[in-house]
Amino acid sequence: MSYVLLAPEILLTVLALAVILIGLLVSDKSKNILGYISAAGLAASLLLTIGNRGGDTFFYNALVIDPLSQIFKIIFIAVSLLAVIASIHYFKDNRNQDEYYGLILLATVGMMVVASANDLLSLFVGFELASMSTYVLAGFEKKNPSSLEAALKYFIIGSLSSALMLFGMSLVYGVSGSTNIPEILAYFKTAQVSGIDILAMVFLVAGFGFKMALVPFHMWAPDTYEGSPTVVSSLLAAGSKKMGFVAAFRVLVLALVAVRADIQVVFAILAVITMTYGNVVAISQKSIKRMLAYSSIAQAGYISLAFVVMTQMSIAGGVLLALGHAFMKGGAFLAVAVVGYMVLSDNKNAKNTDDISNFAGLGKRAPITALSLFVFFLALAGIPPSAGFIGKFVLFYSVTSEAVSTASTWLLVIVVIAILNSALSIYYYARVIRYMYVLPPAGERIHEPLPYVVAILLAVIGTIGIGLYPEPVIKMAMDAASVLGVI
Amino acid sequence: MADLYMYLIISAVIFTIGSYGIITQRSGIKILMCIELMLNSANLNLVAFSSFNDNASGQVFALFSIAIAAAEAAIGFAILVALFRVRDTINLDNINILRW
Repeated sequence: MSYVLLAPEILLTVLALAVILIGLLVSDKSKNILGYISAAGLAASLLLTIGNRGGDTFFYNALVIDPLSQIFKIIFIAVSLLAVIASIHYFKDNRNQDEYYGLILLATVGMMVVASANDLLSLFVGFELASMSTYVLAGFEKKNPSSLEAALKYFIIGSLSSALMLFGMSLVYGVSGSTNIPEILAYFKTAQVSGIDILAMVFLVAGFGFKMALVPFHMWAPDTYEGSPTVVSSLLAAGSKKMGFVAAFRVLVLALVAVRADIQVVFAILAVITMTYGNVVAISQKSIKRMLAYSSIAQAGYISLAFVVMTQMSIAGGVLLALGHAFMKGGAFLAVAVVGYMVLSDNKNAKNTDDISNFAGLGKRAPITALSLFVFFLALAGIPPSAGFIGKFVLFYSVTSEAVSTASTWLLVIVVIAILNSALSIYYYARVIRYMYVLPPAGERIHEPLPYVVAILLAVIGTIGIGLYPEPVIKMAMDAASVLGVI
Repeated sequence: MADLYMYLIISAVIFTIGSYGIITQRSGIKILMCIELMLNSANLNLVAFSSFNDNASGQVFALFSIAIAAAEAAIGFAILVALFRVRDTINLDNINILRW
């Protein structure tokens, strides 16, 4: 056991505390440097995470470092890094910057603990660390009623989901007599399925479903993403949502192997409802942040197809789509933040800065942002060469091949529904693209702030890079899926 | 064995009261109290199972979750106070800027 493997978490925790401490000591003016320090720390821990392949457990089996945890940690750190770089401009000259960066770093550590959790206790603690930090971040503009409303709704639904999850965990512990996930797995492999197992599974699916924003547990997501500061929405949609998925991969796939057949049906229904509802409601949205929120609900529906068939390839597809979604959605929210900055620099008292009418002629007003948003939208719709295409391709292919090999018609029907949904989503992305490139601009060309441009271009590189050269990422995802030990 | 069932029934009742309250109550403070009820019913479960299974990890889990619930309540009240300063109300029926 070597603590070098935990270096990224240790680095970020120390950095978070240091940032808060430095914030106490320096004047409000010099706090702008904290953003650069946090970005450097995140970049360093990203390199440390990419560099190590893992294969060890820590603290009496409470944490495990394996390929699955590593790929999700890369997602979480990358998303936080993008959000922090953009925040250097978004929260410039804000006197609470120290708390802001401290909370983002702590939220990242929480998500990383969830990714590594090998025990229900560490899973719960990681979940709560990430959730509580993001509750505060959602309400960070404390004079802005919609930010506070977003935080309150997120808090109530988030704590409700934690309570459901904790109740489910207490039942799992009661049945199996252990909180350690491999031990629970060993227990369920031999035991008979009883009613209380099903009950525990329902609570866990509901608890994770809230975090993943699956319909019918989604109602907080559009409100929270719309009301929060836009960089925080990017962190929530691209990062903290994936936390639910990695937890579900670990617990539902691994530990409740005994009641597998029931999970398949539950997730098939949830996935179909989620993707259809998300896409249909996104069509009628005027607010782009809200549209992105519904499209991210739809993407959660696609990713949860991985739980329906639970083959190694489908889980790899889910992981790939989660990775791609992190770049595409994170980048898209940051581009919306640039539009917000543009509208506010025209008119200080503007309301609803993310209204679709503000995107008119964006191709002329902010060409880099508009082009990147164009790329993100095509990637979200699943057009090659992009990360979104690779993820959807592997995922849909795995479900289809499972359907063919088991000759089950209902799986094929689900794939057809998913593909039709992808086609439907092109409609509302194309609508925004028409606004950006066809309609006349409402003002002069603006100077896009450098931190935003850097963050958005990094997201574009991630999106296109995975699309053009997917082999190493697909291999990582397959390794990650093989950890779960399914067929 | 009979004792375990008693604890489980009590915790299920408390959990139900909590979730009923979250659905029906409109005051922010009452909703926070209901969330606490739900978390604590799970703690009761954990401790009861720990005693029944004769293994201490359930009690450790309950201690962690009590500490987490305290932090959660602090954050909830902080959000409510901030909201009250801006809006002069914490009645959830009036908190409806964001909707489609």
